[in-house]
Amino acid sequence: MSQASGEVAVVGVTKRFGETTAVKDLSLTIPHGSYCCLLGPSGCGKTTILRMIAGHEKPTSGDIRIGGQSVLGLPQVQRGTAMMFQSYALFPHRSVLDNVAFALKMRGASTADRHAKARELLTKVQLEKFADRLPTQLSGGQQQRVALARALITNPRVLLLDEPLSALDEYLRLRMRGELRRVQKELGITFVHVTHTQLEAIAVADTVVVMAHGHIEQAASARDIFVTPRNAYVARFVGGQNVLTGSVESVMNGVAAVAGKNGARYAIPVGGRHPRRGSPLWGSIRRDRIVIEKMAPGAKPTVGLNAVVGEVHTLENQGSYVKVTLDLADSEEFVAHVLDETFFAGSLDIGERVVARWSASDVKLLEDGPIAEEAAPAGAAMATAG
Amino acid sequence: MHGDDTRPWTFYAFAAFFTLFVLFLYGPMIVIYILSFQGPNGGMTFPLNGVSLHWFDALISQTRVGDIAGSFVRSIGLAAIVAVVTVVLSVLAGLAFRRRFRGSAFAFYLAIASLIMPGLFVGLGIALTFRLLGLPTEWYTTALGAQLTWTLPFGLLIMFAVLGRFNRSYEEAATDLGATNWQKVREVTLPILLPGIIGVALFGFTLSYDEIARTALAAGAKNTLPLEIWAMTTNVTSPTLYAVGAVTTIVSFIVIVVALGSIALVQRRRAAAGMRTE
Repeated sequence: MSQASGEVAVVGVTKRFGETTAVKDLSLTIPHGSYCCLLGPSGCGKTTILRMIAGHEKPTSGDIRIGGQSVLGLPQVQRGTAMMFQSYALFPHRSVLDNVAFALKMRGASTADRHAKARELLTKVQLEKFADRLPTQLSGGQQQRVALARALITNPRVLLLDEPLSALDEYLRLRMRGELRRVQKELGITFVHVTHTQLEAIAVADTVVVMAHGHIEQAASARDIFVTPRNAYVARFVGGQNVLTGSVESVMNGVAAVAGKNGARYAIPVGGRHPRRGSPLWGSIRRDRIVIEKMAPGAKPTVGLNAVVGEVHTLENQGSYVKVTLDLADSEEFVAHVLDETFFAGSLDIGERVVARWSASDVKLLEDGPIAEEAAPAGAAMATAG
Repeated sequence: MHGDDTRPWTFYAFAAFFTLFVLFLYGPMIVIYILSFQGPNGGMTFPLNGVSLHWFDALISQTRVGDIAGSFVRSIGLAAIVAVVTVVLSVLAGLAFRRRFRGSAFAFYLAIASLIMPGLFVGLGIALTFRLLGLPTEWYTTALGAQLTWTLPFGLLIMFAVLGRFNRSYEEAATDLGATNWQKVREVTLPILLPGIIGVALFGFTLSYDEIARTALAAGAKNTLPLEIWAMTTNVTSPTLYAVGAVTTIVSFIVIVVALGSIALVQRRRAAAGMRTE
């Protein structure tokens, strides 16, 4: 079963629609046989990239290569791509079997041959019993599996999935994303999956590409995207993090002491860098690494290092943890995920004043804006804006 | 005032209006159908002087009442031609208008404008032009053209509505699965649009079948059915006129049943694909 390489390379691609630029000089390489999620809010250009790989849009400039060969201008069949559409686009006037066999019919395969192959694929997605139904007679999850079988019948080297789970209810969404991952591993082909749901991307992908306004904010493993976001945008969009901002007071042993707006002070590790005093600095702290302590009524807000004072704004029980949102009066929302056992052992309520504390070692440096360095060797270690 | 009955007064106002509407539309029609069964010695008004099919018989046998049979055949033929031409051109134009091209808005308004032109003068103008060119005016030339100025913009508007609900990803999926442009249209686009296309045909047919304004001055020597009936209202003073009304209503009814039936059949066939795949 030797298969042509499904490495997808987007090389310096720009796509304009009239006056608007959907994708700006974007480069990305997706290794053969990997599962890549393009993640971002609507309008960030993720679907445009997918459609350019599929050949439904042409890049304004730049190149798209699959297996090292440029595929610009090639029809889908020669690209070796197959696409699963957002609403599946199953042909409503054809049976499930004929939907799956469609690509083979277009190639002139005999009825017997294409139906045999289609049945084989339907068996793979456990829908052989529904071969003679019409798509509308199937549930959303079953339709999705038919769409998958239909896309796979041409043995593509790259499968492109446009919001494949958005039409499903929560329960099915969680089940089907596991299923997609399993199918990808089994086939060993490249999957490129577009989504705006952070947890979906993190759950299925080898590589998550976070996008905004037509460019890449960060492309990294799912774990890195979640644990070490590159900048405040990624930290905020992926969620799971609070963004700390402030100006540098001092730097010692690779840790900067930073003064926040509300009198809070935090330590942000800066590695080998030496940010200048007074320059702005950004860091992130995971929501589940925060300890909430109630303040005694009338107590003075004595704020130590790595802590903020705020009022409980909302409480949301998420089952295994409780999402506690604090109102810090001046800055953006600050969220702590408190383990259910810890939370229900206490008696925290909305409107109460609390101190949120964390350990300096859990804080990660974010690269937002150039970090103004002190006495740095010319040009060295300059982080560029995203 | 109180209790479960909380319908606003507007409900009763509209209910009253709707009752009037129904009476106004169907009442006179029913009177005509009843009077068409007038006895041989009865007149054009109530009371019924016996019940008979005498006037239906007179319709076919008497040449004195005019060329009902001939005009009926012409009207059906013309309506069929109009329906076919309307379907072919509206579907093609509808598909073409999905893409913005240079002057597409201008072309669209130019086509739609014919809906607001006074029909009588459209017919007159076409007839005059033909005469100027020395061409004969016939129901299958001038009248056909005059009716198409009426049915084509309608057909186009219906196609816009039909295509507005058509998900383009069906076509992209077909392309993605290796269909050529022609395969895409034949295997995916047209079958999915078929119920809407039947609707266009139905519209084209019925608009043509009872068209008077544009046809009146463009039909040439031989009348279509509506023109024949129009002529009869002025010189026929027997219940034959009512018999004509009853027969033409039945024909319109059959056309609608056939159209809706074929839409239902398309849907049934699709459901039956459940039993037997091609």
